[in-house]
Amino acid sequence: MSAPLAIQIHNVTKEYKRNGQAIPVLSGLNLNVNQGEFLALMGPSGSGKTTLLNLIAGLDWATAGDVIVDGLNISGLREKELTRWRADHIGFIFQMYNLIPVMTAQENVELPLLLQPVTRNERRRRAATALKIVGLEGREDHYPRQLSGGQEQRVAIARAIVTDPALIVADEPTGDLDRTSAEEILGLLETLHRDLEKTIVMVTHDPQAASKASRLLRLDKGQLVGDETQAEARNRMGVS
Amino acid sequence: MKYLGYVLRNISRNPVRSLLTIGSISVSLFLMMIMLSFLSVNSEVSDSLKGSNRIIAMSSQGFAAQVPIRFVDEVGSMEGVTAASPLSWYGGKYQEQEMPFAQFGIYPEKIFDIWDELTIPEDQKKAFIDDPAGCVIGFKMAEERNIKIGDPMPLKGTIYPFDLNLTVRGIYKSPPDRDGRMCIFNWRFLEEGLKKDFQGRQAGNAGTVFLKIKSGTDPAQVCQKIDASTINSDTPTRTQTEDAFVAQFAELWGDMRLMISAVGLAVVVSLIFVSGNAMAMAMRERTTEIAILKAIGFTNGKVLGMVLSEAVFVSTIGGMIGALGCKLLFDVFDISPYTAGALPFFFIPTKTALLGFGTSILIGFLSGLLPAFAAARLGVIQGLRKVV
Repeated sequence: MSAPLAIQIHNVTKEYKRNGQAIPVLSGLNLNVNQGEFLALMGPSGSGKTTLLNLIAGLDWATAGDVIVDGLNISGLREKELTRWRADHIGFIFQMYNLIPVMTAQENVELPLLLQPVTRNERRRRAATALKIVGLEGREDHYPRQLSGGQEQRVAIARAIVTDPALIVADEPTGDLDRTSAEEILGLLETLHRDLEKTIVMVTHDPQAASKASRLLRLDKGQLVGDETQAEARNRMGVS
Repeated sequence: MKYLGYVLRNISRNPVRSLLTIGSISVSLFLMMIMLSFLSVNSEVSDSLKGSNRIIAMSSQGFAAQVPIRFVDEVGSMEGVTAASPLSWYGGKYQEQEMPFAQFGIYPEKIFDIWDELTIPEDQKKAFIDDPAGCVIGFKMAEERNIKIGDPMPLKGTIYPFDLNLTVRGIYKSPPDRDGRMCIFNWRFLEEGLKKDFQGRQAGNAGTVFLKIKSGTDPAQVCQKIDASTINSDTPTRTQTEDAFVAQFAELWGDMRLMISAVGLAVVVSLIFVSGNAMAMAMRERTTEIAILKAIGFTNGKVLGMVLSEAVFVSTIGGMIGALGCKLLFDVFDISPYTAGALPFFFIPTKTALLGFGTSILIGFLSGLLPAFAAARLGVIQGLRKVV
């Protein structure tokens, strides 16, 4: 029996308007993602990876079609509803970490919890746990400027998991890191996927990063042109 | 409250900009408080005098015209009047200083019944009454000039030809909104000097007449009665309550009041622009951060609230320093000695300080509106694109 679906994309089209002209980015896309999958979205620039990620994360609306996450069709939600839904269901990891520079690591991680009905002590406890998971115990009071790029991205990951979301979306999470730091971050994402059974959707250009995912999707010109498991990809490339 | 930490951190993010914004608001409000207080001090004092049961009779021709001294006894014996005294402006030099403080000829045995908020020890009051050449001075003047009881107080006449060589017999205390630097002397001493040495030139003038009326007496009726008694005389009077008398000084400002109000309004509008510009710059720098906040679940309303709170907080600090600080400063520091007698007392009325403080909150709110709406309406994708 297959795992329940975390994400269902039905016939999704996304167009942007520029000077009154519709520019298609995604065309009639269909996709199912099981709970607990670690998905890597790959493809050339302009292929629609980030657009698809934005639709899955509820940051944007599809022009047509349905985006169903955890059984809820988010295409029909209004902006305010979508914003509240994101707070409860999605963890974000960005390429540039995007931490608040005037807040400590602990405070940055606590930020999403401000929107949850939890006490201050509970916020502190949960943030400390998240920082421990990403290996930043003892760095709670450090400001982003006092941390390396890899450490900043770990804080961002802690911020993404602190509300215990079902889905984590990562847009080029290693794009701004050196190889060693990138490996650490990818290892961390693997741990979240393996040990905490998080569903992860990661956009990446980096084959090394994609190799950590359980499933690889390739997009080109708004169409899904490849969909294989990690094992299938390795077999295809003759890698053991 | 749980977002307060974030708001405060944002204020300290660019300390120079925050300090400059706070500085411009506080300096402008400080100056505005002084300007407005020049207008409102008289009204404030006038309000505080309501119910003092004091009325003032002066010539219908104005201050400079004479009121005969016999008039004091006439009105003093009217029904409802408990005490009456001349209040004759002397305006002399002290140690070659032109009008350094107010000097009035009065009736020593009556004046402290009329000005009952001024306090003086009984022995000093008696000494003042007993010595025709005695005078009583305010405690502020005594402190500032280090004058003690028994010291000479020579005043050189500028309006009257007769110089007064007085001796300090008492020092009175007064509340903060009353002149604590007056010198009052026995009117009869001046009168005798004018009669003896100057053939009575300028003698017999009461100047104005201060009256205390019984509690419960209708002051308007007494005023009417007094004016009716003099209407057909050579010296008709204009009698009014003390608060109305003081209020007429405020009216002397005339169009200046409107001008100062207009300048105040212009200052407020400029401050809205200054503060609004600072907030707009701050928001522009934080476009990505705002997008991130919205991505992780902060609604438009929460973003709007946080940006507005930040603007209001900065502005309120400016208001506290500028408006409330100004009040505190003038409560502690007395500028009167440095105004060459032009301002016997000056303070920032509480109402004016609160108006300034309230204005600072309004400035913060209005200046934060546009940047806050811009931040709230920012699309997450649009904001994130600015980074990458």
